Amino acid sequence: MKFHAHVGVVETRDEQTLNEVLVIAKMEGKLLARLAPNLAVLEVDDAREVLETLEKLGKHPKVMR
Amino acid sequence: MNPATAKRACNYRTGEADLLSVLEIVIAQQPRVLKGGQPNLTFFRAANEALISPDDEQGAAGFVQVEFWLALARSAGLTAIVEGSLAVTAKADAFWSLPADQRRERLQQAWLAAGDVSEFALTPEIELPGMRKTRTVDVLSDVPLPAKLIAARKAILRHIQAIKTELALPKFCMQMEENARDLFIDHSDDKSWRQVYYRGIRERGGNEDIERAGAWQRVEGSVIRLVCEMILPNLGLAAYDAARGVIEPPAELPPTQPAEVVVQPNFEVVALGEGGDASALWKLARISAPAPARRVRKYVLQRGRFANALARGFGPEELITFVASLSRTPLPQNVRYALQDWGQSTESIRIWPDALLIEAEGVEDLATTLPRALADKLQLGVLPGGHRACPMPEIAQLRPNLPPRKQLFDYSRQLPRVLFPAQGLVINAPRETLHFRARRLLELLTAQESADRYALDAAKVADTAGKLGAGDVRQRFEAALAEDAGSALNLALRSWTGEFGSVFAGPAEILVCENLDQARALASLPEFSAWVERSLSPTAYVLKAGSSDKVWAVLTKLGVKPRKGK
Repeated sequence: MKFHAHVGVVETRDEQTLNEVLVIAKMEGKLLARLAPNLAVLEVDDAREVLETLEKLGKHPKVMR
Repeated sequence: MNPATAKRACNYRTGEADLLSVLEIVIAQQPRVLKGGQPNLTFFRAANEALISPDDEQGAAGFVQVEFWLALARSAGLTAIVEGSLAVTAKADAFWSLPADQRRERLQQAWLAAGDVSEFALTPEIELPGMRKTRTVDVLSDVPLPAKLIAARKAILRHIQAIKTELALPKFCMQMEENARDLFIDHSDDKSWRQVYYRGIRERGGNEDIERAGAWQRVEGSVIRLVCEMILPNLGLAAYDAARGVIEPPAELPPTQPAEVVVQPNFEVVALGEGGDASALWKLARISAPAPARRVRKYVLQRGRFANALARGFGPEELITFVASLSRTPLPQNVRYALQDWGQSTESIRIWPDALLIEAEGVEDLATTLPRALADKLQLGVLPGGHRACPMPEIAQLRPNLPPRKQLFDYSRQLPRVLFPAQGLVINAPRETLHFRARRLLELLTAQESADRYALDAAKVADTAGKLGAGDVRQRFEAALAEDAGSALNLALRSWTGEFGSVFAGPAEILVCENLDQARALASLPEFSAWVERSLSPTAYVLKAGSSDKVWAVLTKLGVKPRKGK
């Protein structure tokens, strides 16, 4: 096991949804890792940007704080 | 005394309703906190208007009740300052989920131990010039420090609890002066020249400190009156009959009545009346935009706030059932469908903006390998692939629970350099040391040759440089290397990113002059620029193919005999 502190994590229902989220937020090229088809790891700032973008578009993901 | 606090009939139920209103305004406004640690005037006005019996803003007292509830909420941990704004806490959720009698007890205990509540600052009849700005006490001041206030509260409560039937408030204040004169401030040396004034305490609007002689009732008496008229009844520690001006033992807590709630098709939830189950109203406030207003509370169901509630651990159906259970009438169809849609939409994307991620390596099953104590402490969410995540805890709390020899990569700091240049274009990268940034870099620039061995890949380097820029690629690469890149790695990377131009190697025609003057003389010939491909130095040039014969011809015509290289 490895411990990664202060990373952003995005998990979606399916692969397609994650692809859409990353395209909408223009984050395809900024991924740190894609650990599963529907699981992406980002830098913290990038994850916040994803969140802001989604909220601006009226989508309200489940934010785990 | 402020009319609102002196004449109203307050008890624990009205007090709790007021606290609920103040916290609902915190939820609705999430006010920025100013330098003095308090929210702005807009917040105070809104919170005051939401009270069952608001204070008179124009009067001298200001917003005594709101200040009191805010200070008590802060002391009880129900609010906290988060990124410069006042916010309610998870502790507040836990508080409102308790039964009414336990909530009352918690509030009573919180007040008795509160360091943030200063009854002297709240008392309308006096003012403390030294506390205006920062709410800290000047050294040369008689304003009691928190420890003294805490002891004084307990003493007042002991005297109040000794009242069997009723006692007029003025008489109680007289008794306190006689029996507990030093309750707040030491009067043992009042005849001394040093103890002439209440230092740092003035009558409201006054220009100088109050003289001690004969002023106990104006200072300590006023504070005790505030405690008896407002604080004790609101906390259910005593009853105060404002019409007759008497203190009585507190009444039994009446049973909780369900809130009278109507859910409207426009997503407004209206709760009527002063009472109502505060616990249910709080839960409603946490999934909506609350707008408390005395005897009518409105809660507007909103997608974002509903999503936030789901993130706090509620299920969508659980919340829909909860809203439906509150309503006297069936939940409007459009509201039900919208809530279901919001729930599905929210549940389809989960984001941890700042997380601790525990990565399962290979076929590792974290359910069995992760230490139990750590798993219990962190309340980890299970992710696809068996990985785990939770909101980022304090690293200091985390380290003692980490399994031995397991590294913690902290992405808020510079990560360890884990790529080791080897022979030629090969890079060794032991997989157990690899963090995501290094792995990402290897993906972008190399082809994997074996488990821990990678080779720089021309096509990938060129592709990545096209997206990120040559400088950025080199910077990231150098930052990840544990040692200086060998000459081969360096040359290849910088050539493939386009940072280095193409290199020429092969036979060439060159023109070499003996000195600078000779070079200048040659360069002034009109044919010169047609011969030269590029300058190598001020006295040496690469010639275009076939130009050396032309140079010979021109110079021979001038009678100058050039040397010919071997």
